[in-house]
Amino acid sequence: MNIIFILIGISLLVAVTFLGAFLWAVRSGQYEDDYTPSVRVLFDDEE
Amino acid sequence: MPTTATAIHTHVACTHCGDECPDEPLLFAEQPFCCQGCQAVYELLNANNLCTYYRLDERPGQKVREVELPSRFDYLDQESVQAQLLAFRSDTLAKLTLTIPQMHCASCIWLLENLHKLNPGVSESRVNFLRKELTVSYLPSQTSLKDVVKLLAAVGYEPQITLAELGAQSHHGNRTLYYKLGLAGFCFGNVMLLAFPDYLSFIEQLQAEFGRFFGYLSLVLALPVLLVSARGFYESAWQGLKQRYINLDFPISLGLTALFLTSLFDILTQRGPGYLDSFTGLVFFMLIGKWVQQRTYEALRFDRDFTSYFPVAVTLLTTEGEKSVSVKELQVGNRILVRNQEVIPADAILMRGTGQIDYSFVSGESVPVAKLTGEVVYAGGRQVGEAVELEVVREVSQGYLTQLWNNPAFQKAEKQTLETYANKVGRYFVAVTLVLALSSILYWYPKDTHMAMRAFTSVLVIACPCALSLATPFAMGAALRVFGRRKFYLKNSAVVETLGRADTIVFDKTGTLTDTHRSEVRYVGLPLQPAEMQLIAALAQQSTHPLSQRLAKELGNGEVVKGEILGEGTEEGNLLKENSPFTTSQVHHFTELPGQGLSGVVAGREVKVGSAAFVCAKPKAQQGPEHSADTRQSRVYVAVDGENLGCFVFYNVYREHMQKVLQTLGKRYHLAMLSGDNNTEQERLRGLFGPKAELRFWQSPQDKLDYVAALRQQGRTVIMVGDGLNDAGALQQADAGIALTDTLSNFSPACDAILDASSFGQFATFLRFSQNCLQVVLATFILSFGYNGIGLGLAVQGKFTPIVSAILMPISSLSVMLFATLLVRFTAYRNKL
Repeated sequence: MNIIFILIGISLLVAVTFLGAFLWAVRSGQYEDDYTPSVRVLFDDEE
Repeated sequence: MPTTATAIHTHVACTHCGDECPDEPLLFAEQPFCCQGCQAVYELLNANNLCTYYRLDERPGQKVREVELPSRFDYLDQESVQAQLLAFRSDTLAKLTLTIPQMHCASCIWLLENLHKLNPGVSESRVNFLRKELTVSYLPSQTSLKDVVKLLAAVGYEPQITLAELGAQSHHGNRTLYYKLGLAGFCFGNVMLLAFPDYLSFIEQLQAEFGRFFGYLSLVLALPVLLVSARGFYESAWQGLKQRYINLDFPISLGLTALFLTSLFDILTQRGPGYLDSFTGLVFFMLIGKWVQQRTYEALRFDRDFTSYFPVAVTLLTTEGEKSVSVKELQVGNRILVRNQEVIPADAILMRGTGQIDYSFVSGESVPVAKLTGEVVYAGGRQVGEAVELEVVREVSQGYLTQLWNNPAFQKAEKQTLETYANKVGRYFVAVTLVLALSSILYWYPKDTHMAMRAFTSVLVIACPCALSLATPFAMGAALRVFGRRKFYLKNSAVVETLGRADTIVFDKTGTLTDTHRSEVRYVGLPLQPAEMQLIAALAQQSTHPLSQRLAKELGNGEVVKGEILGEGTEEGNLLKENSPFTTSQVHHFTELPGQGLSGVVAGREVKVGSAAFVCAKPKAQQGPEHSADTRQSRVYVAVDGENLGCFVFYNVYREHMQKVLQTLGKRYHLAMLSGDNNTEQERLRGLFGPKAELRFWQSPQDKLDYVAALRQQGRTVIMVGDGLNDAGALQQADAGIALTDTLSNFSPACDAILDASSFGQFATFLRFSQNCLQVVLATFILSFGYNGIGLGLAVQGKFTPIVSAILMPISSLSVMLFATLLVRFTAYRNKL
């Protein structure tokens, strides 16, 4: 059953990657404004 | 012209702003416009292929109101101002964030993000819609800050650049909550997975083999939650303790500590898996509550800084000539120049020119006060008319207004801004919990020491009032959103509580109960010929004075002379715009004596419009109906070719729905009305307010403040409704100060809530809804106590196992969130909000 240790280790690693991605997203300001982008995306056709 | 003739009776909406056009709309590219300003914006956008603006949203424009003062933005060229405003600056790029309160729809976002098409020097512009901010990057080599701001003003989005902004602080502090939330979520998920073997006790073999490993791993995962995510609760509890005050975070911290220590002990001594999944879960749910709270606040964030009202730069007169300096640099003895429509930045002595100071911000008196050379003028007044030269006698920070604001009487008695209710309940909660925990120890100790410890910690754990802490943010957050949709903006959720508890409502009269924009105009005097009306309208159009504008509009609509010349008049109106001899350029020798009146020669006839003294040297007694000191009305006299014709009387009109609102409120509240005016309208107001209400006249801002303070001394909870300008002190003094305003961009620093004038009719419903919201919070408290009761029942018996905790805790948190939100929504629905 030693495989459990490895599996848990891997699963934690994956989870930590996602946590890192989330922290990076916050850091890069993606959570500063969650309304404007939803409108902005509609403009591209209007150029 | 048949097309326009039909248009007259079918309310043409302006292509730009959507306002109703006057009877003879300006036409450009076959589109109707209500005014030159709107047309100018359209022309500019049209020339740059930006008319998509008008397709994205229905009538997105803002009426362009301001009179363009060419030198208004000159201060932006100043080095010190730029240094403070610009966030980043190099030779090739400059970047700054501007607040633009006018933005309100998708079209606004689109236009503002396409600024580079209007000014190639702008490299990028990004909107943060929720904060109403625009971040602009531009190339200093091609354009300047002044040009960018001028462009924004030209398209109707003049940024709000104020002193407050000059001492700018960015708001990036709230990212920490996201970090904490993410971390807690991550740890909670993983700890829960590791705790699964416990939940499913049939995998006993697995548990025996890996229990220890899982335990230690959970401990490692729970540590960052304790140290980072839960830190805020400990800090808040500690802050409270230092001030000898037990807030809701204290029992939360106590419970969290008990949870963690018990788990630590259990895991290290191999007794069991501990409660770490409950621990991380609780922190996660409570952080979600905090996040909801923060988002609601952010959406409602408004500028409370009084410095917003002051001009940023003033024109300093030096020996070398005029110089624009920042207000902060102003010193006693400086000579300054204040132009038409500019605010006086500091107390000063009038040195040259005729002052016509509009003190409506300070005293509520909208009629300008004449000041002669040598007299003192106070900060906060607005000069109307010619430019005046002033000598500063007191520095800005010591000015009258600032004093008024810094007056200790104006500071609210350290108002508990957060969930006063919850904190109060929380205190009793702690007492009950501690008593229960101690008695369970006393009960168990003689029988079973281990059980005693277990019961003790379980009580502390289950007593953690996390559901309680979630109830208020969710209920109040939902309530604030309901209010926000109805254009009633509250500073924070504590205001809902205050509104719900209030028993007295004090109204200000001027600008609050009366609607200055809808004043009724009547004409008294010799009958006016249509041609004469056009003469007067043409002259009045030249002036920016509110009464002149109003008069020009009324005459244009032909409303004053009740339809009798409507057809003919509008026909002439069309002529007026196109080929009549009375186009604006045909007004010769136009002079405007500020505060007195206008005169000019229109189509060869001399026209005078203005005060009685100005129009006719000796006003005849029979000119008006009677010469009363009725301040309810303002009069504008007219004369053509030296012959006095009569006067236009502007009556004050009360707001729509006022009677209904006052009637409803009168049944449940003690009402009072304060007015800075005289008591000519006492009868009418008495009828509206009912016999019990207190009506006070001749009230100065200080009187209003004192009155509200006296009411509060009697133990009443007072709501003050004012326009937020002349009664700022009283608004601040009241338990809840509500500013009633027609333009939402006019924030008042003192108020707790802003009510859009169009929603005034629902004011009584708002108050009832606030009361209902309090009931919802109480109901949610009862629900959460129910959970706590069940938990406590198990805890004192020592039956509170990790699995019970893992089920009960999340269920209680989630159901409280749901219950609070749904119940508030339902209440709103029932109140038809």
